[in-house]
Amino acid sequence: MILSIEQLNVSTKEKQLVHNVSLSVRKGEWFALVGQSGSGKSVLSQAIGQMLPANLKANGTIQFMDQNMLTLDRKQMKDIRGKRISYIFQNYHGSFTPFRTIAQHFQEYQKAHGISSKEKRKENAIEALESVGLDASFYKRYAFQLSGGQLQRVSIALALMLSPELVIADEITTALDSVSSHKILQLLAQKQKDTGCAILFITHDWRHVRRYADRLAVMKDGQIIETGGKHRILDHPRHEYTRQLIKAAPILSSGLRSGLEEEKKHEPTFS
Amino acid sequence: MKLLYALAQKKQKGKWQLNLLKLLLVVIVLVCLYTFLYLQHDATLTNLGERLQDSSWEHPLGTDHLGRDVLTRLLLGGQQTIGYSLFALLAALLVGIPIGLISGYKGGVVDRIFMRIADGFLAFPDTIVAIVLSGLLGPGIGNLMLAIVLVKWVNYARLVRSTVMIESKKDYILAARTNGLSSFSIIKKHMIPHIVGNVLVMASLDLGKIILLISSLSYIGLGAQPPVPEWGTMLNDSKSHFQSHPELMIYPGLAIVLVVLITNMLGDYWRDRFDVKKEMQG
Repeated sequence: MILSIEQLNVSTKEKQLVHNVSLSVRKGEWFALVGQSGSGKSVLSQAIGQMLPANLKANGTIQFMDQNMLTLDRKQMKDIRGKRISYIFQNYHGSFTPFRTIAQHFQEYQKAHGISSKEKRKENAIEALESVGLDASFYKRYAFQLSGGQLQRVSIALALMLSPELVIADEITTALDSVSSHKILQLLAQKQKDTGCAILFITHDWRHVRRYADRLAVMKDGQIIETGGKHRILDHPRHEYTRQLIKAAPILSSGLRSGLEEEKKHEPTFS
Repeated sequence: MKLLYALAQKKQKGKWQLNLLKLLLVVIVLVCLYTFLYLQHDATLTNLGERLQDSSWEHPLGTDHLGRDVLTRLLLGGQQTIGYSLFALLAALLVGIPIGLISGYKGGVVDRIFMRIADGFLAFPDTIVAIVLSGLLGPGIGNLMLAIVLVKWVNYARLVRSTVMIESKKDYILAARTNGLSSFSIIKKHMIPHIVGNVLVMASLDLGKIILLISSLSYIGLGAQPPVPEWGTMLNDSKSHFQSHPELMIYPGLAIVLVVLITNMLGDYWRDRFDVKKEMQG
């Protein structure tokens, strides 16, 4: 078990945003967290890395490997963020500081985690860029010179560079067109295969869930209403809300909703 | 400077204006510095035998009512006026920027405390603070500068705070945090470049105001004290001879106008340069 959240509550002074959430992510799996906008998915994901805004308070336990994240101090959190848990965000343009180059981002993040040789850092960065299909010429560029898909690739390269055990991908394809998002997810799946990291994949898109997830949890109004294997939930949802959500999603193919038959015919290629 | 240019990658239109301004400012500073190295006359040595002379080779701008060389006093006064203004400005920046950064980045109670203090200072006009301080601590350039710092830091703290508050909500700051950067390096590398432009514009506009303030308070006798050759003090000294020798007031007056104009134009230029909205339109 990489991550196990037990009885987590997140609230402001007036309002509770996450109610008694418990879930666990296993080593190397693709765990999808599905729900409408405002269901508390992002807040939950931010609570994991202690990234909550100052006015939100979390209590409960968030067990990552053998540590309770909510009891760690600043210094320990700093060491975990980016190295053992990394994030990829929806807003790819916003994730890069506008006046700093891709190179500076790579350099800085590695330096923060104790890689002291500048040459080594550059080598790592270019290797990471190449592993997501971008050549070394991207190294010197600014974020605004890259397209959305390219930036999201860079984000993935950055997130995976220090081989974290857990990658939290918060709606990473929402702002991309469907072809680009498909490519990005394929890349992410490929990288997961290579590195064996677990992915907490936050989304509202059933197509991605159907295609990539191993297990999933459905979230509504700050509560998890259903957890289980992909096929179980997609084909035999127990909860009325899950049923409605699945129904509302566009389906382009015949066969089972979880895509069991379709996958037999068109096995996705990860090469 | 590289950062500044990266921030505002803009057509090099009107660059000669900037160069002209820079050149003028540099010339003034150099001239004032030169005086320091090569002094023909003592700025404070009175020589009543040579009082109120007209222009001559010996005294290019004549002498004042105590027989002191006006040009020497004017140039040394430049050192005083510009130097004190820069120093006061720098001190205000050094107080205001860190407070703004902390206030904006930390938020919460810290922010509230700092900002209420700032509001308190903001309630008093700078001239009043300077006069009150002079009344309490006695007149003098030191107290005047203290007054200026007390009044001016607020503007910078608020400017920096608002920029930092806007920026720290953005995703790239979140991204930097999720990648394990410390608050210090986030502020240093990801925040400071954002505020440099705004602060530079405000500071160069403020420099003119501070020069005026120092000069005007020295003129009413609250700043530099005679016989220090400060432009405001020089104006004050020569006001009783205005009828017979108006040039004694015109020289320091012109000097003040010139320097204030230059700093204002420089400020305007930088404001245009860092104006992102204008850049988007054209």
